[in-house]
Amino acid sequence: MEVYTMKHIRLILIVLLAGLLGFTLISCNRASKSAEKLYLYNWTYYTPDELVAKFKKETGIEIIIDNFASNEEMFAKVMAGGAEGYDIIFPSSDYTSIMINHGLVQELDHSLLPNLKYVSPTVTEKADYDPDLKYHVPYFMGSSGIAVNTARVPFEYERTWAIFADQRMAGRMTFLDDMREVMGAALKHLGYSGNTTDERELDEATALIINEWKPNIIKFDSESFGKAFSRGEFWVVHSYPENVFAELPADMWDSVDFFIPPEGGMMYIDNMVIPNGAKNVKNAHKFMNFIHDPKNYAIFLDEFDFPPTTNTGAEKYMKNDAFFFTDKDLVNSDLNDDLGEYLDLYNARWQKIRYEH
Amino acid sequence: MNYHSYSKKKRASFSDTMLVLTILFLFVPLFVVTFFSFNSAKGMQWEHASLIWYKTLIFDSPSLWLAFKNSIIIALTSSITATVLGSLAAIGITWYRFKGRSYITTISYLPMVLPEVIIGISMLIFFSSVKIKLGMFTIFVAHATFNLPFVFMMVQARLDEFDYSTIEAARDLGANERQALMKVVVPAIMPAILSSFLMCTTMSLEDFVITFFVSGPGSGTLPLYVYSMIRYGVSPVINALSFVMILGTMLIAFTFRRFLKTAAAST
Amino acid sequence: MKKKVLKPAKREQLLGMLYSFPMGIWFTVFFTVPLAIIILYSFMKRGLYGGVEYSFTLEAYKQMINPSFAKVLVRTLWISAFSTILCVLIAIPVGYAMAKSKHQTLLLFLIIIPFWTNSLIRIYAWISILSTEGFLNSLLIRLGIVKEGLHLIYNNGSVILVLVYMYLPFAILPLFTTIDKFDFFLLDAARDLGATKLESIVKVMFPNIKSGLSTAFIFTFIPIFGAYTVPLLVGGKDSTMIGNIIVDQVSKTRNWPLASAFSMILTIASLIGVFWMLASAQREAAAKNKNTPQAYEQKVRAHHRRGKR
Repeated sequence: MEVYTMKHIRLILIVLLAGLLGFTLISCNRASKSAEKLYLYNWTYYTPDELVAKFKKETGIEIIIDNFASNEEMFAKVMAGGAEGYDIIFPSSDYTSIMINHGLVQELDHSLLPNLKYVSPTVTEKADYDPDLKYHVPYFMGSSGIAVNTARVPFEYERTWAIFADQRMAGRMTFLDDMREVMGAALKHLGYSGNTTDERELDEATALIINEWKPNIIKFDSESFGKAFSRGEFWVVHSYPENVFAELPADMWDSVDFFIPPEGGMMYIDNMVIPNGAKNVKNAHKFMNFIHDPKNYAIFLDEFDFPPTTNTGAEKYMKNDAFFFTDKDLVNSDLNDDLGEYLDLYNARWQKIRYEH
Repeated sequence: MNYHSYSKKKRASFSDTMLVLTILFLFVPLFVVTFFSFNSAKGMQWEHASLIWYKTLIFDSPSLWLAFKNSIIIALTSSITATVLGSLAAIGITWYRFKGRSYITTISYLPMVLPEVIIGISMLIFFSSVKIKLGMFTIFVAHATFNLPFVFMMVQARLDEFDYSTIEAARDLGANERQALMKVVVPAIMPAILSSFLMCTTMSLEDFVITFFVSGPGSGTLPLYVYSMIRYGVSPVINALSFVMILGTMLIAFTFRRFLKTAAAST
Repeated sequence: MKKKVLKPAKREQLLGMLYSFPMGIWFTVFFTVPLAIIILYSFMKRGLYGGVEYSFTLEAYKQMINPSFAKVLVRTLWISAFSTILCVLIAIPVGYAMAKSKHQTLLLFLIIIPFWTNSLIRIYAWISILSTEGFLNSLLIRLGIVKEGLHLIYNNGSVILVLVYMYLPFAILPLFTTIDKFDFFLLDAARDLGATKLESIVKVMFPNIKSGLSTAFIFTFIPIFGAYTVPLLVGGKDSTMIGNIIVDQVSKTRNWPLASAFSMILTIASLIGVFWMLASAQREAAAKNKNTPQAYEQKVRAHHRRGKR
């Protein structure tokens, strides 16, 4: 049995302490310190770095962003009390509605938000949960769709949701791991509403997915499909365009066919809300106003190659003029409604789709 | 140990082959990741050697350094807490009898055995029902909790080998409890204490599942950062980060190579 | 300083509690209580937007009885069993070679490095290797062995491969520790008595490392059974395991009672496993007293007397 004397212990402790000091110094240097902060709980990479830097330059406020990949993940954290440090959260329309109705968010001070005049009426029309923008400010209205790698799929294919029934691409296609998105796609393809509560329609959609679509897909992926698509791993992805195109170098964009099926799909409006208990409320308002300054919003749109929805003043500042989709493509699409207890009808069927078959 | 009757025999015995193959198997992914971290291109086609991703990693990743800072703080605090509490408890359990002894013995093995999702979820639900905000504190608590059983077991194992008569001798010579503890017991079990501290730090630094559930705003740790990079991030930067972390692990293991065997025995 | 002299038994009690209660209290607050809450939640009604409503119901347990969950459970069982067996089968010769070796520290170093490397990074490494456009396939295509990339990932096979990779050290280390303590002279003794190399290993060493074997089994099977990240990242559409379901119930469907019910079942299964392991360790400790070279010689002589089988 060896005996360790105090000499050994002291030596090891000194090494540890030195290491700790060193690391802390390095990391403190790198993790910049700033007086004013703003904590965002946002979708993965949804606020361009350029705007974050610009905001800091103009206001001195440092933005710290935590990410989530789905409304459910975000809401689970909120309900578990894990979202209290955030100043702005970015829920989609249905969850905005839920959060407002549950008293989880605070009223906005419109006197601090002059740029609200640029928010497009098309968006506010659809926001029947809070039409006067008392509790939320729309961030972006967009949609998911289908991205096809035409370099690997050089032949003709159906430009509708039925592409997923095409066995030539079997094993190279993915769906979003999102119940409302996938079931919505099936419902729209069958001509029904993406918010239906009719069980027969839901059963039909479920059968369609299980029998014709699921056998051809390899994974339900809401997170890394963009990277896999850019590597040529997946050829047909149910996706949000910004995630796909952000991964590709610009010279490859021509080989990608992104479309929103003509039957319509599920569109989304992502909003900014300030949760109760937020600490930096003034900073939050500053940010919301900052975003809707048309010049800044144009930067946002250009970064993700979004079409000019949501903000009326931005279009003339945009550098892009070619978009993945336009307002017209959204004509048949549905927004996710808060289905309340009818959500269980979807849950039960989604469970069957994901686990049973 | 003399068993030349075995090792002299064949060229390479089956078990030695398995050993080599296994080590290769364990290291291949690490090599691949490291190799491509030096590739100037983003994908799997080798272009030319380049340190560009390392540059990006060090200079262009502020959230990385925040995560790193959080990871270190949590690792050290939770390890110190676990080591202190666990070592004391090991002493108490091994040498004393008291009410509640069997309860403590049983309960301390459980966190080691339960799957991480269960621990993570139960802590999340716990924190939410007693309305504790998720953040650095909750991660610290969670890490200390799952580290404790390892400290407890490792120190206990060492104590089992410790000759209690030494303590009695010390007592006969007039030492009180504190002196006996500090001057006799602690130095003797120092290897176990150090190796369990080492294990705790490592396990805390690499934990993902439990941290995922109990982290809050701005309290992301390194593994959470890696996770978000896997979901969305530039691949080679992850490779560069991986290599750095592998180096760090090697450094820690090398510094404490004397304690590796004790650490292995605790698993 | 006036010292209070306590009676020995009382002093023992007090000191013991002083040493152990800090940890005991910590565990009670941060472990026992959360588990108790989970037990409670599993019997409650589900709140529509997450959380629970405080009324007793067996609804969650009823919901568990469902063909989709049954399917996932069966899949989890066979993936876990298969992966565990693979791990242990590999770990036995590896642990043996390590225990015999003169370079134990080096070997430990080599085994522990990957083990201590961040788990996500290791998974990510496998994704880049196994992807259809990944390292392995690029290599195979370049060497002309295949024309197109093979589908090596996003299926149960890749899940098993990566699970084995991740948990192999959990099997190797306990086996190494136990085999290391094993007295190899016993094997020599067996050889002297006429056993072949394999026979001596199987009939002498195995029974003595039973505790290491059961530790290896338990420490591999239980975490694999509750695995979440591996099936999530390298699994396909049909590789969901119980761990994923539990997380989904918490973060996606917000059905906390159901998540709790599943967790309960998982916890109970793990406890059974642990008790089995502890019991077998105790049995082995008792049996150790009977395991001296002399005792073994007796056994073998008796065996030979009865005539070789």
